[in-house]
Amino acid sequence: MVTTSIAVENVTVAYHDRVALYRASLAIRSGTICGLVGMNGAGKSTLLKAIMGFVRPLEGRVLVQGLPVGAAQKRNLIAYVPQAEEVDWQFPVTVFDVVMMGRYGRMNWLRLPSKVDYTLVQTALTEVEMGKLQDRPIAELSGGQRKRAFLARALAQQAQIFLLDEPFAAVDITTEKLIIDRLLQLRQAGHTVLVSTHDLSSIKTFCDQVVLINRSILAYGDVETVFTPENLCRTFGNHFCQYQEGK
Amino acid sequence: MFWQWLTAPWQYEFMVRAILLSVVVGLVCGALSCYMVLRGWALMGDAISHAVLPGVILAHVLNLPLALGAFVFGVGSVLTIGFVESQTRIKEDTVIGIVFTGFFALGLVLLSKVKSTIDLTHILFGNVLGISNTDIYQTVISSVVTLTILFLRQRDFLLFCFDPTHARSIGINTNLFHYLLLSLLSLTAVAGLQAVGIILVVAMLITPGATAYLLTDRFDRMLGLAMGLGAAAAIVGNYVSFYLDVATGGCIVLVQTLLFGLAVFFAPKHGILARKFWAKIDL
Ligand SMILES: Nc1ncnc2c1ncn2[C@@H]1O[C@H](COP(=O)(O)OP(=O)(O)O)[C@@H](O)[C@H]1O
Ligand SMILES: [Mg+2]
Repeated sequence: MVTTSIAVENVTVAYHDRVALYRASLAIRSGTICGLVGMNGAGKSTLLKAIMGFVRPLEGRVLVQGLPVGAAQKRNLIAYVPQAEEVDWQFPVTVFDVVMMGRYGRMNWLRLPSKVDYTLVQTALTEVEMGKLQDRPIAELSGGQRKRAFLARALAQQAQIFLLDEPFAAVDITTEKLIIDRLLQLRQAGHTVLVSTHDLSSIKTFCDQVVLINRSILAYGDVETVFTPENLCRTFGNHFCQYQEGK
Repeated sequence: MFWQWLTAPWQYEFMVRAILLSVVVGLVCGALSCYMVLRGWALMGDAISHAVLPGVILAHVLNLPLALGAFVFGVGSVLTIGFVESQTRIKEDTVIGIVFTGFFALGLVLLSKVKSTIDLTHILFGNVLGISNTDIYQTVISSVVTLTILFLRQRDFLLFCFDPTHARSIGINTNLFHYLLLSLLSLTAVAGLQAVGIILVVAMLITPGATAYLLTDRFDRMLGLAMGLGAAAAIVGNYVSFYLDVATGGCIVLVQTLLFGLAVFFAPKHGILARKFWAKIDL
């Protein structure tokens, strides 16, 4: 049976009077990795935020495992990894503290971690190869290490669905490969992943499906059928087309 | 000799009350200051501590607990700020500046009407030496309530300050914590007002947290340090004021400022000297 993890139905989002996303519709299948591709300002982050309920759509709706997103969040169904710029890196917390925050939703209201919580945090840290750095203040991490810490937090959350906003921006090859491996592992375990990126070269290596976006959804479907030079040309505009022809 | 110097203030009941009250206030303001500093709410602290003035005066006139009046007006100012900010294109710091001075001005006008019963200087500069029993009870109760809430929900407040986006994504109601923190701020502003006066409250609400932030990279230590600094400054400030016969509120805040100044230069890792030192080593 094919089930839909994330259903986006006719969603329009505007910031003040500027429409950033126009009538987007998607149905992301469970147990797949879906790449979200578009240039800067195309509305990738906006789409992810609309799915998370962080921006209110002018029209349309989003269902996560058939639930409104608020209910899905209360059940810890979604893990969201934002673009790194969005937190204060001078904050006095360690890598371990950050990853433990992934468990808060599963703790009682005093947020006292149990043995299970500690174990899962350790596992998550090991999976992103950050075990040795667990007691470092986050202010002392490199860009790649920051991304890993946030990925570990999402892993520790043990959600069904993972949304990642530009996890490959400004990371080195090793970290990129590590992140991709974790995503493949998640898919193996039956999780659904939606990941925004503008790194086109790696899409074919790990995505099952791809969404091409430029203020509205231009194309959506399996990588083989959708990820074509013509479609990419429509997504990225003239420069990209000329570059492709040149090659 | 030294012993006598140390114990002399404790022989006066007004000094005992003053020291105890300012220590309680130092502890609770210290705890709250960590969140103010990390959340970037220094201006908000300043705003609320001023905006409670009309509430304090009305409560005094109506014979209600001062904390109640302060709470209503503190939260009222926050809601006003939030409303104007969301409905217009005016930026937050501008809105804060307008709203809090407006509330404060309203307070001054009210005060001029009821002048006979309240002393303006006590409100502006604190009156820890002449504080009444009722005021002490109220301050202790509001401080205990604030500290209990802060400690029980410590992790939620921390997450709310650090990464509200993540908090929302795991189903935490960030609006609740936003307004809870601002409500605690209003309650604490009254406590601080009695110790150091309305003008200096904001120092109690940000300086210890800022000093602690220079001294450590761990949140729990920062919290402990800030509370300790708040209490220590309260004690030292009272002694200085006792022996030099100068304003208590001013002394407490001055001690906090001095401690902050020391940390700016000498903090082990984030102080100016340490950074110079490490920069040299790196070469
Ligand atoms: N908070 C905001 N306020 C106003 N405009 C915004 C805001 N966030 C994004 N935008 C605008 O919406 C468009 C889409 O942005 P975004 O979703 O961040 O794109 P992407 O993530 O694909 O780079 C851009 O034109 C951007 O300038
Ligand atoms: Mg983006």
